[in-house]
Amino acid sequence: MLDAAPSRSFDPKDYLRLQYMPHFMCPGCGHGIALHALLAAVHDCGIAKDDLAVVCGIGCSGRVGGYIDANTFHTTHGRPLAFATGLKLARPDLTVVVVTGDGDCLAIGGNHLIHAARRNLDLTCLMLNNEVYGMTGGQASPTTAATRFTSTTQSGAIEPTFDACALAAAAGASFVGREVTRQAPALKTLIARALRHPGFSFVEVMSDCTEIYGRKNDLGEAPEMILSQKADMRPDSHRDATDQPFRPHALPTGVFVERDLPEYGARLRAHAAAIRKEAGR
Amino acid sequence: MRPLPNDDFAPAPWPVTTGMNILVVGVGGQGVLMISKAIALMAQRRGFAVKQSEVHGMAKRGGIVFSHVRFAEEVWSPTIAKGEADMLVALEWAEALRWLDHLRPGRGVFIADTRQIVPPFACRSRKAGAASAYARETPAEIVGRHADGCALDATGIATALGDARAANTVLLGRLSVWLDYPVAEWHEVIDAIVPKGTREINRKAFDAGRAWTAPAPDEDDAAAPAVAAPMPDLHISVAIDPAWCKGCTICVKLCPERCLAMEGPVAVVATPAACTGCRVCEWLCPDFAVTVKNEGVPA
Repeated sequence: MLDAAPSRSFDPKDYLRLQYMPHFMCPGCGHGIALHALLAAVHDCGIAKDDLAVVCGIGCSGRVGGYIDANTFHTTHGRPLAFATGLKLARPDLTVVVVTGDGDCLAIGGNHLIHAARRNLDLTCLMLNNEVYGMTGGQASPTTAATRFTSTTQSGAIEPTFDACALAAAAGASFVGREVTRQAPALKTLIARALRHPGFSFVEVMSDCTEIYGRKNDLGEAPEMILSQKADMRPDSHRDATDQPFRPHALPTGVFVERDLPEYGARLRAHAAAIRKEAGR
Repeated sequence: MRPLPNDDFAPAPWPVTTGMNILVVGVGGQGVLMISKAIALMAQRRGFAVKQSEVHGMAKRGGIVFSHVRFAEEVWSPTIAKGEADMLVALEWAEALRWLDHLRPGRGVFIADTRQIVPPFACRSRKAGAASAYARETPAEIVGRHADGCALDATGIATALGDARAANTVLLGRLSVWLDYPVAEWHEVIDAIVPKGTREINRKAFDAGRAWTAPAPDEDDAAAPAVAAPMPDLHISVAIDPAWCKGCTICVKLCPERCLAMEGPVAVVATPAACTGCRVCEWLCPDFAVTVKNEGVPA
């Protein structure tokens, strides 16, 4: 990990609203690790705090943005992508990052996700997937794994889960990747690539909910949960070579889609300019 | 195995004309087999029966490689028993020490390259610049224990000639002082087994090894220190802010060096000296409570 260390000048405290720290999240919550990686990626990309806008929805993930000392926007449940679309179209000079959760993005905001991916507007969507609605009391989300106990699946979940990356890729996102919080330096690199990518970038972060989900499902304390990430998830290339027969359902990590598609904001402005020209204005 | 005390037999005078046991040792990729092949070929040309056996392949690059060469009027066993090698040629310093007990007591000739190739498993501490568990014996100390022999920086000599890979030929040249056959014949043997493009450098390396003379004692110590000077300590510090720590124990359980410990509800730095600055704790702290500072090597 030495090589992947953030440059010496990086101090997360420069990017945090110190008056609100320490943050409200439970001990061992993976969202804090994801926030650290996001700040390191912003630092690596050299984005000034005034040029960064973070749009969040509702839920534990929705509170992440509030701790970032930048332009932040706490929106309604499931709609951060809709707010971010308006913001990016009005202010194309800003780097707009959407921080959302599995319930926020896939259930309440599932419609917004597929259409944001389809349009390919230059946004970076960071979906923190902890497989549960943590803040509202531990209800099952679209990514809750089978047999897991939640407050709405008291005898174990039976629904199939969403593969958010496959969904985003199928809807037309031009950059799709997934990483676990255990591999925080790799997560930072992935987020930095997504930030630099022109177009809709979707990054799924496998995070841990220790208190509401892990504790009630006997998944261990925070260290056990974070260590099991490493056993359960591998880069695609590695899995194919070694793990495939043994772990058929483990989620792959890495970059799945990186393609060059026309960006919506530029197309919209060109289209508007052409209409104005035609109308003689 | 039969012990061979010094008074057990009368040493035959050098040069040996009736046969010899030569043990060539080193690590993978150094050319142990190339020089044992040269010795075997030379002995064949002189009309001796030769047997050579080796362990290689499993070692890969950096692992142990050894080769036994035995030649005489007639040879039965292909391997050399402990204490029965007339010459030990070592291409690496720790390997020289490993095989010392194979030399014939009181008579065996010791030839070694002083160059150290520190294996990863000798690095017991992952701290940058930490002393390794590599052999501490100095060349002067070891050579002094033997009837005859020398320790030279063959890799340095070969590098000065233009190719570090010819270090094995430098030692072969050194060995030819004891196995004293005409130099022209040695050159022919080398030409026969090395790739065409490297004949020139191998001949030069052979001559340099043969012509090598031990430097004056004080100069020797300065030229070939057996123990590398320890690197200065890095300025690494790890600190945990108790006001921000929520006691999730991720850092305590995931620190590879076990530097951190729980003290009541919060984590503390228990053994700061063990920290290698890997930053696992800093990256994985969800609460921004851990700060690792790595200022690098102090100026």
